[in-house]
Amino acid sequence: MSKKTAKNFFIYGSLFFFLVLVLLTIDTMIQVPKRAPAITAEIDAGKKVWHKYDCIGCHTIMGNGSYFAPDMTNVAGRKPKDFLKKFILDPRAINPKAAMPKLGLTEKEADNLMAFLEWTSQVDTNKWPPKPVLAMARKEASSGQVIYQKQNCAACHIIAGIGGTAGPDLTRIGPKWKAEELTRYLKNPASVKTASAMPGFAHLSEQELKDLSDYLLTLQ
Amino acid sequence: MGYVSHKIANNFFTSAILLFLVQVVVGIIAALQFVWPDFFILNFNTIRTLHVNALVVWLLLGFMGASYYVIVEESETELWSIPLAQFQFWATILTVGLVVIGYIIMGFYPQANITVFGTLLLNEGREYIEAPRWADILIVVSVLLFLLNTAMTAWKTKKFTDVQGVLIAGNLFLALMYLPGVFYTKNMIMDQFWWWWVIHLWVEGAWELIAAALLAFSLHKLLGADRTMLAKWMYIEVGLVMFTGILGLGHHYYWIGTPAYWLWIGGIFSALEPVPLVLMVWDSFRTTRYATKPVENKVGLFYTISHVVFNFVGAGLWGVFHTLPQVNKYTHGTQITTAHGHIAFYGVYALLVLAMIYIALPTLRGVKQFNQSRGYVAFWWMTISMIFITFSLTGAGLVQSYLERVMGLDYVMVKSAYNQYFWIFRAIFGAGFLVGALIFVKDFFTAWKEPLAKAS
Repeated sequence: MSKKTAKNFFIYGSLFFFLVLVLLTIDTMIQVPKRAPAITAEIDAGKKVWHKYDCIGCHTIMGNGSYFAPDMTNVAGRKPKDFLKKFILDPRAINPKAAMPKLGLTEKEADNLMAFLEWTSQVDTNKWPPKPVLAMARKEASSGQVIYQKQNCAACHIIAGIGGTAGPDLTRIGPKWKAEELTRYLKNPASVKTASAMPGFAHLSEQELKDLSDYLLTLQ
Repeated sequence: MGYVSHKIANNFFTSAILLFLVQVVVGIIAALQFVWPDFFILNFNTIRTLHVNALVVWLLLGFMGASYYVIVEESETELWSIPLAQFQFWATILTVGLVVIGYIIMGFYPQANITVFGTLLLNEGREYIEAPRWADILIVVSVLLFLLNTAMTAWKTKKFTDVQGVLIAGNLFLALMYLPGVFYTKNMIMDQFWWWWVIHLWVEGAWELIAAALLAFSLHKLLGADRTMLAKWMYIEVGLVMFTGILGLGHHYYWIGTPAYWLWIGGIFSALEPVPLVLMVWDSFRTTRYATKPVENKVGLFYTISHVVFNFVGAGLWGVFHTLPQVNKYTHGTQITTAHGHIAFYGVYALLVLAMIYIALPTLRGVKQFNQSRGYVAFWWMTISMIFITFSLTGAGLVQSYLERVMGLDYVMVKSAYNQYFWIFRAIFGAGFLVGALIFVKDFFTAWKEPLAKAS
């Protein structure tokens, strides 16, 4: 191959591939709006809050960012909304061990940010992040355990190493509670601990609440 | 020899390596924050922003220094306008300084990042391109002045060499690809889509063009190898870089909300991305056999060849490991990416700029020879440290991918319990890297004044 051929190979080849990229980009721009809910003024304001506080300086979103703190793509689908808002406003009041500092968001900014995170959790990301193996494995379980799974308690709580760190570890929670008090707490946490960020589970029946607390009391 | 214009290259190189030191120091702080989040007065996000921005800016300053140096050497004439180049240098430094002050203010008072004329004043909150809009405009002006000056210098002599052509094309492509990142998009999917145009088409497009041109220049300068042969291989290499790299962009479009066909496009083209990098390794080793003169600047050649090898290891191997969608599904957004980022940026671009500094050093200092022994010491401190930083991060990434993505453990659990030792190792080797960087900086300022090492 002569130098001239190599030069043409570089110039025309690059232009060709760049043209292909431009065409694919146009198609992507047409398809993207169909892959997520419409963007309201509130969601856009939330995206601006995301940029203003440089959230990506610690977190990732759609897997891109700084790898220092959890991914935010589907956080709104994983954690209760009330909890998230309280946490964003003052992380260490909710979880003293949290690494996140208090950034000073206003109530309005927190609401907008929640709308934005709700939106990202509904984006069609080609099934990313993958569903973990353990989350999909099912085994024989007591009715209390089934409720624990269905209500997604593991989003915030750990039992024997599995689960989230937003709420207390429940691995040895049993001896610390009395049955009646725990049932009341599950139904309406604020009635037992005023500062609690946990959402209430009043939509469960009395029997379900009892089953769930019976299961938790067995954890020793 | 002896062009007044080389003062400009020297200014750029000096500022580049001082910023390199800043990058390494804040990197160590960031590493320690993985173990103790509250250990420093500024939060992780500010430190991390400084770490990655210092990287981007010192490499750009290094490229500009190298380009000013190479254009003058290739054209065998002074720059088109030395005062303009001086102005461009100081204006760039001033802009960078103001941006850094802004980041630090925002670190202490997050509320200070107010919206002015519809854009954020201090920090745009977008990774790598955090610089606010007013700084974007100044940066574009600076790059345009730089392009004008280098292109006019080549034009003045009407002696267009292949190296000049690819170098200027790379710099032009770099300037153009900054633009997709300047504008605000409401949709986060498109925000990240355009953001990757900047990041990917820089590091796997424009910057690789600059690297290939500098490689061809260096091999000719150091070995006296035939220009036509070098130019031919340079075109083949940059051709293959562009063919695989442009659509290789697809490997960033797997999971951000973009259509599923990107899984195929990204997977296929990015799997081919190591091919030109292997070719560069083969080509540069082969070229050393075609030397027409004894090599005087051995340390320059050593850094050049090391750059080529670590270009393949860091960008090629550590990239291709996790580039297929089947693997990337589990490793995306984990420390595997961080590991790849560290070894790739060090191998491809840090070593390249450091190599160019050693190659230019005798000319910049006006000496024929200099004491080269310390250059090797700096190299081994930096390289061994970076290899172990990469291993630490790769280990952390494997543990994270397995426990978080496969087993379903919580992110915070994995980070604070299972990966603790990896963070400690990373910080220790970060300190080792700082030793190497300090030795390099000392060498840059003093090597030419010292007695030559005894020939062995």
